[in-house]
Amino acid sequence: MKMWKIGLVLAALAVLAGVPWYGSDVLIQFGINALLLAVLAQGWNIIGGYTGYASFGNSVFYGLGGYGVAIAMVQWQLPFAVGMGFGVVLAVVFAVLLGIPVLRLKGHYFAIATLALSQVMTAIVSNVGIAGQNIGLVLPPLNNDPLFYELSLGLLTIATLTIWGMTRSRFGFGLIAIRENEEGAAVMGVNTTLYKVMAFALSGIFSALAGGIHAYWVTFLDPASAFDISLNVKMIIMAVFGGPGTVLGPIVGALTLSTISEFLSSEVTSIAGLFFGLVIVVAVVLMPRGLADMLRRMRKMGWGYFIENIRAHRL
Amino acid sequence: MKALLEVRNATRSFAGLVAVDSVSFTLAPGEILGLIGPNGAGKTTLISLISGTQPPSAGEILFQGESINHLPAFRRARLGIGRTFQIMRPFPGLSVLDNVAVGALFGRGGGQPKLARAREHARECLEFVGLGKIVDKRADELGGPDRKRLELAKALAMQPQVLLCDEVMAGLNHAEIDEVIDVIRKVRDRGISILVTEHVIKAIKSLSDRLLVLHHGEKIAEGTPDAVLADPVVIEAYLGKKRA
Repeated sequence: MKMWKIGLVLAALAVLAGVPWYGSDVLIQFGINALLLAVLAQGWNIIGGYTGYASFGNSVFYGLGGYGVAIAMVQWQLPFAVGMGFGVVLAVVFAVLLGIPVLRLKGHYFAIATLALSQVMTAIVSNVGIAGQNIGLVLPPLNNDPLFYELSLGLLTIATLTIWGMTRSRFGFGLIAIRENEEGAAVMGVNTTLYKVMAFALSGIFSALAGGIHAYWVTFLDPASAFDISLNVKMIIMAVFGGPGTVLGPIVGALTLSTISEFLSSEVTSIAGLFFGLVIVVAVVLMPRGLADMLRRMRKMGWGYFIENIRAHRL
Repeated sequence: MKALLEVRNATRSFAGLVAVDSVSFTLAPGEILGLIGPNGAGKTTLISLISGTQPPSAGEILFQGESINHLPAFRRARLGIGRTFQIMRPFPGLSVLDNVAVGALFGRGGGQPKLARAREHARECLEFVGLGKIVDKRADELGGPDRKRLELAKALAMQPQVLLCDEVMAGLNHAEIDEVIDVIRKVRDRGISILVTEHVIKAIKSLSDRLLVLHHGEKIAEGTPDAVLADPVVIEAYLGKKRA
């Protein structure tokens, strides 16, 4: 990576880290949500963007992370950090137990199988006493938004550094090889099953940590909000909007779309969803491979880039 | 000489159709064995049975005297069995260099864990097959002949002991075929055993030490190229009864 790029990333990080000092309470709260969504988009990026498995099961990891924190703090009176660890353990166990059978499925079949997972988890957790059944759990409040903000930013930084390191490692090359051609990867010596499960678990760890922070922040957790499938759709849209399989794309996608969504819901409250949908459709038509690809190719092709994409859709 | 690879009564059937029917042969170290037969004879299926991308219905595959039947494809790759695909399967989104680097990162013995070293090795392999000048191109920008070379370079980067080449010459013109034959000879000179399939007989005749002929999944002949190609059974399989 070039020096100016590193400088730009560090400057952006400094601006983001300073928000609690110069930003309003509303901005900090918006920031926590946007940063946690960015972590989820990055988590999805590992299994969906790099490995090529479009997971709809990542919201389960998010929910497990939330319940890890909630159960540890409410039922066992343990500190928050222990709860985060517990959530990670739950997510990894889930990724391994379900990943082994489900990751054998390819393409649409994998997506459909994972789609069912959050429904199943909602049903299961609603009947587990220690998780508060379908009533949910109320966590001890901690009124410190700047802390939650910096935690979220720190988690996003770690997730991004992990992905950056991954892209220049044997592990990352193995994942990309699986995405590009799984049989080709296997005959070259990639242990595809192990790598896929590891990618799923890594993806789950970051999603679980995001879920844990969110649960402590909002101090309430019930099965419907913990295993919300629309959250999974959101993280996919954000990762794909920014550029799946790139280091920074999902962050840019998450922050951009969060901002657009926030702006729309304050300006055109009742029909914000409609406009948001319109933004997504236009984005998919004009830049189907995400912002990262657009920025790369626009330099060479100029506005012709959009025209080519429109033609590719035969519109 | 002791066989490096031995196939014993390998059989593969798909819902009633027997694609490979009880085929046996051995491959010695440093040998080039040509596998020929008309389209649909079972050549690619036989290669898949050896590389582990398809399980055999019956029979046994031995590598260095040990059965590898139970091993998945990636373990066989790590033992030193490399293959190319007839329908070429580059990793389209990756550069030519990184396509080959995957082979170096994994491959025989688990491969080279350091990316920089793997890329260095990949560059050597690309120069070896004559793609040294276009290492930074994306793999899906390559034309047919260059893709064939890329397939070879990817397999070579694995540092295999056995290279299974599936129709690496199909669709190439005479000059390109000569170049590929040259590369395969150089690979053998490094001590690698090669199994090469082809349905154009002329190309493979000069290259192979021995020929094995498949027809409807069965082995119908095996021996030196001259003897095999003079065999009336082989001529009949290729040209039909009238000419034989």
